[in-house]
Amino acid sequence: MKRSLILTLVVVILAGALTLAAEGRKYGKSLTLKEKTKISDILANPQKFNGKRVLVEGPVVGVCPRRGCWIKIAGEKDFESLIFKVKDGVITFPMDAKGKTALAEGVLSARTYTREELIEMGKEHAKEEGKEFDPSTVKGPKTVVRIEGEGAVLK
Amino acid sequence: MKWRKWTNILHRDIGYVIVALTWIYAVSGIALNHISQWNPNYRTVKEISRISPIQGATREEIVSEALAKLNLTEKPKNAFRPDPETLQLFFEKKTYSIDLPTGNVLAETTRPRPVLYEMNQLHLNSPKKLWTWLADLYALALIVVATTGMFVLKGKGGITRRGAWLTLIGLLIPVLFWVYFSLKEVK
Repeated sequence: MKRSLILTLVVVILAGALTLAAEGRKYGKSLTLKEKTKISDILANPQKFNGKRVLVEGPVVGVCPRRGCWIKIAGEKDFESLIFKVKDGVITFPMDAKGKTALAEGVLSARTYTREELIEMGKEHAKEEGKEFDPSTVKGPKTVVRIEGEGAVLK
Repeated sequence: MKWRKWTNILHRDIGYVIVALTWIYAVSGIALNHISQWNPNYRTVKEISRISPIQGATREEIVSEALAKLNLTEKPKNAFRPDPETLQLFFEKKTYSIDLPTGNVLAETTRPRPVLYEMNQLHLNSPKKLWTWLADLYALALIVVATTGMFVLKGKGGITRRGAWLTLIGLLIPVLFWVYFSLKEVK
C-alpha cells in the first residue's frame, strides 16, 4: 500500500515535470495572441507593424549578458533577427535561453535613430557585453526594429 | 519594565529567524551592485580554436561541415547565421561562433554560479507570487528588528544617550548623500 502510494506520487511528479518541460517556461504576462507574425514580414516592412501587438516565434540567438533584459530572436531566414526588450527587473531571461525556441509577445517599435544616438547605444551595448566598440563602424541614420516585450514562453 | 522585556524578545527571536535571509540579501546585494563589472549570475568560459575554412553553400551544408570539422556528433538545438561570414551553433550550455572564411571558432560555455545564482534570483524576486509576500514579510521583520533594536539597552548605551548619536549618524548618511547627489545633478 505504502509502496504503491510512493510510486503514484513519483509518477505524478514526473508527469508534471514532463508537462512543464513540453509547455516551456513562461516569462512575464501570459500570451494573448494566437496568430504569429513572421519576423521576416516585420523586417520587410517594419512601419506597417509599428505600435502594433505581435506574437513572434524563433530561436533565441542572444541574451543580455548582464541583466537578462533582452533576447535576440532569429527569423526564418538567415541574417534576420530582432531584439525582444523587456523592462529591467520585470522579466529576467537566463543566459541558457540561447538556442531555445521563444514564443514572444509585445508591441513592435520601429524607430529611426541618428548616427550620434546609434553611437551612444553601441557604446552601452558594448559595455554590457564587455566588448570593444569602434564608433567609426556606425553608419547612420538607421531604423531599429524591436519588440517592447510583455510575455514569452521559452522551450 | 515589561515593554522592554517584550521588545528584547521580539528583537532576539525575529533576529534569529531572519539571519539567513539577511545574509542572502546582503551577499547578493553586493554582487548585484557591481553588475556593470561582472556577471553575478553566470560564469562564461571562452575557448578559441581553429578549423579549416567552411565552404558549404546552403545553411544545411554549412552546419554539417562545421559539425564534422568540430568532431561533434550531437545535433545542435538551433543554428543561426547573423551575417554571411558567421555561423552560430547552439547546444544546451555551449555556443559555437564560427568565422566561416577563416575557420576561427569561439566556443562559450555558460553555467550559473552555484548558490549565488539562486540568491540573486531571490533578491530580484524572480519567482514572484509567494516570494513577493515572503520578501514583504522579511522587510517588515527588518523594520521590527531595527526599531526594537533601539530599545534593547537602557542607560548610557541606550537610545537616550549614545544610541541617539549613532542613530542620528545613521540617518544623516542617506540624507547628506542625497543632498550631495541632488546638487551634483543640478550642476
